[in-house]
Amino acid sequence: MITTMEEKPHVPAAPRKRKVPGWAVAMIGVAGAIALLSITSMQTGFPQLTSSGTTQTAVRLMLPILLAGLGGLWAERAGVVNIGLEGMMIMGTWGAAWAGYQWGPWAALVAAVVFGSLGGLLHAIATVTFGVNHIVSGVAINLLGAGLTKYLSTLLFQPLSNNPRQSPPVQPFDTYSAAGLADWLGELEAGQRLFISDVAGILRGLVTGVSPLMLLTILLVPLSYYLLWRTRFGLRLRSVGENPHAADSLGVKVYFHKYVAVIVSGGLAGLGGAALVLNPGQLSYLEGQTGGRGFIGLAAMIFGNWRPGGLLGGAALFGYADGLQLRSGGETVLALVYGVVLLLGVIVVWQLIRRKWFSAAAAIVVAVLLYLLYISLDEIPGEFVSYAPHMVTLAVLAVASQRLRMPAADGLVYRRG
Amino acid sequence: MSSPTSVRTDDPPAVVLTGITKRFPGVVANSDVHLTVRRGEVHALCGENGAGKSTLMKILYGMQAPDEGTIEVNGEQVRFRTPSDAIKAGIGMVHQHFMLADNLTVQENVVLGAEALHGIGQKARKRIIELSGKTGLNVDPGVLVEQLGVADRQRVEILKVLYRGAKVIILDEPTAVLVPQEVNELFDTVRGMQEQGYTFLFISHKLDEVRAIADSVTVIRRGTTVGSADPKTVSSRQLAEMMVGSELPSPETRESTVTDTVVLDVKGLKLLTPDGSRPILDDVDLVVRSGEVVGVAGVEGNGQTELVETIMGMRKAGSGTITLQDKDLTKLGTLARREAGIGYIPEDRHRHGLLLTQPLWYNRILGYQTRKPTAKGVWLDIDGAKQDTERIVTDFDVRTPGIDVPAAALSGGNQQKLVVGRELSGEPVLLIASHPTRGVDVGAQALIWDEIKRARAAGLAVLLISADLDELIGLSDTIKVMLRGRLVADADPNTVTPEDLGSAMTGAGSTSAAVQETAVVEEGEN
Repeated sequence: MITTMEEKPHVPAAPRKRKVPGWAVAMIGVAGAIALLSITSMQTGFPQLTSSGTTQTAVRLMLPILLAGLGGLWAERAGVVNIGLEGMMIMGTWGAAWAGYQWGPWAALVAAVVFGSLGGLLHAIATVTFGVNHIVSGVAINLLGAGLTKYLSTLLFQPLSNNPRQSPPVQPFDTYSAAGLADWLGELEAGQRLFISDVAGILRGLVTGVSPLMLLTILLVPLSYYLLWRTRFGLRLRSVGENPHAADSLGVKVYFHKYVAVIVSGGLAGLGGAALVLNPGQLSYLEGQTGGRGFIGLAAMIFGNWRPGGLLGGAALFGYADGLQLRSGGETVLALVYGVVLLLGVIVVWQLIRRKWFSAAAAIVVAVLLYLLYISLDEIPGEFVSYAPHMVTLAVLAVASQRLRMPAADGLVYRRG
Repeated sequence: MSSPTSVRTDDPPAVVLTGITKRFPGVVANSDVHLTVRRGEVHALCGENGAGKSTLMKILYGMQAPDEGTIEVNGEQVRFRTPSDAIKAGIGMVHQHFMLADNLTVQENVVLGAEALHGIGQKARKRIIELSGKTGLNVDPGVLVEQLGVADRQRVEILKVLYRGAKVIILDEPTAVLVPQEVNELFDTVRGMQEQGYTFLFISHKLDEVRAIADSVTVIRRGTTVGSADPKTVSSRQLAEMMVGSELPSPETRESTVTDTVVLDVKGLKLLTPDGSRPILDDVDLVVRSGEVVGVAGVEGNGQTELVETIMGMRKAGSGTITLQDKDLTKLGTLARREAGIGYIPEDRHRHGLLLTQPLWYNRILGYQTRKPTAKGVWLDIDGAKQDTERIVTDFDVRTPGIDVPAAALSGGNQQKLVVGRELSGEPVLLIASHPTRGVDVGAQALIWDEIKRARAAGLAVLLISADLDELIGLSDTIKVMLRGRLVADADPNTVTPEDLGSAMTGAGSTSAAVQETAVVEEGEN
């Protein structure tokens, strides 16, 4: 009997075993990052790279990005692309300032969440009920957020602060430090020993000047994970982002879950705005204060592959780049370029082991170019320094965006029936 | 205690449908349908595409309400408003197109919407593992659905309805997506579950499968049940006769216009599934000559769509060559192939043929954006497009208030006439017509047939794909039968009957001298 039909025997799908659990990967990543910075700071002679001051600034600057990223996570897990995070964040900054100068920091938080949620509600009405393209609605909300706050601050802040672009000063949170521990870590840090001093510097930055908002934000990461991945509500919310038709056929209220997700998303973005207003360096509403952090938050979420843990890593990376340029200026950012060259070296070796010749070659070329840049410059020009976080965003997304898995129905308008 | 088939006849039947009628605007999808499913049996519902099987099952599953008639489950009359009502009554449905979220785990997919039963944690997991055995699903509930093959996904779908406590399970064309071996495994699963008291409603038009698995068969034709049969005694041929109806159209006798000039020459065309695991097109050779209509018959999902899309350049062939009038098309893109002289009536005019929100003249430009009369040099010629649209509207009797209305405003038949008119413009040498009269009214159908015949007489080569066997037999000069990605038989349209064709299509083997097998296809081994 002549046959050319090949019949594939039924093979049960081999369950892909994760050899290393997620938390271990995270620990290895953190250790690797510290080792990299530690070697870089030794080679280039810039202890600022891992100083407690840099860490402290980095954490403060990370908060708004992290909160915006969490906002993006909630919305996109329910299948709504939220490019309007920036606008919701701006609304949050205004709300925080307005309530903050009158009733203190806790009121500022509540008002920021309320204002951000209103932005989220608007986005939900547009995208879920009326089926507006998610990007169009998001851009409109960004414009609306900027315009509305400009109007409101001229109306309400100018009489008090004599400046239409700034609010009266806001009362900050009290901050707390683990005094004994910080002192001991300070001694270690001053010792200038490879790795140990670096770790001590970073830890000291983390336990000094901690505000309630900081703790709240960090807690929101595991809380989001728990809600979205370990509860019935979270399962339904994610199913809506993956396959709304399937979810609907099983009796899940698709519209309801999308609404909740997008409103929570707006609230988180608004809270991110409050984190900017309550930042000790500033303590008031300033026009243009968000500076694209809503978008960077979105980038951090994409970098984190739509997972809370990865998102935390992305936000830390962007916050660090931002903190470094603010704290130490062009020279240290240049030192960071050296660090990137080292990292690329590791990537080259890894790609060669995996026999990915093209990737390895590309990494070598970039590494050589960056190294030439490093040895030919003394300092990165000031004009570029303030864009360091944006550059990092761009570079990271360009490199990391290959193995990402977004929710399958993300950005698609769902219609019943 | 139980008979070999475990069918219990003394209990009230599991499901009784009486006098079900369902009308849609302009069509009667079901009229006076009667169906009785006894408890513990596998009951097959057979019928051609468009016979009304799916509508009937949607009614039983609460997705649509019948206009007339009653549903009884376990002897009690019920009324389903939503699928959850049907689920509560113990009826579950496994859709032909899976309703699964790929990025969620098996467990998450199963418990979604039924979290109230066992939560979403360890208890649910235990219950899923318990039920997995029944469906033959042999994976950890924690793996993502995207890592599963088609057969396992189907098992997850069955698992979903079991988890919700269904006792009557509707399988909507479950074998359409499976390879023969997987079909056998599915049948083993079904038999095993039948032993445990589950009842199945098995929807199919593959007669050999129906005879292999069913305890009883009900045949539906043109929206109504035409009879029941015992699969143990009935032959595939008799079933096919019931499905197609006794009054068979006599093939048109007319002069052959077939010439010797080869227009389309496809050699050794191969196409693999995206994951490369099995062939969709397997070594297809096909020749269409000037003035010839070559019809391809086949049950849907056997590679006809892919064949057409590969010839059009919408899919990239694994190997093989496609030649049009001595010009090698194999490496060209779709636009270049169209410019070389292929007209294409796509099987789904909404997905591929038209932009529904755009005016008719705009739709006239699509696919002709580089050619006269819709383009002048690099610029689009809007006036030319409008004039030519007027011509098509007149010549092809497109009933429309004007050429500026969006395509969505036209009825299906008129949309299709517009597509046919467009594709016959620009002097094509080959027309690929995929289900050219699907979902159109009788008048439009006649017009489209006439236009195809006229173009054929003028020397056009036509490749016709259709599920309507009368259409195939009436129009074609040569008929090829496609089964599992291969052209397995040739049929002579002058002598072949729809039943012969039907049994060749379902792989039941040739039953007539009019069908000549050209290749041997292995049946699913037991």
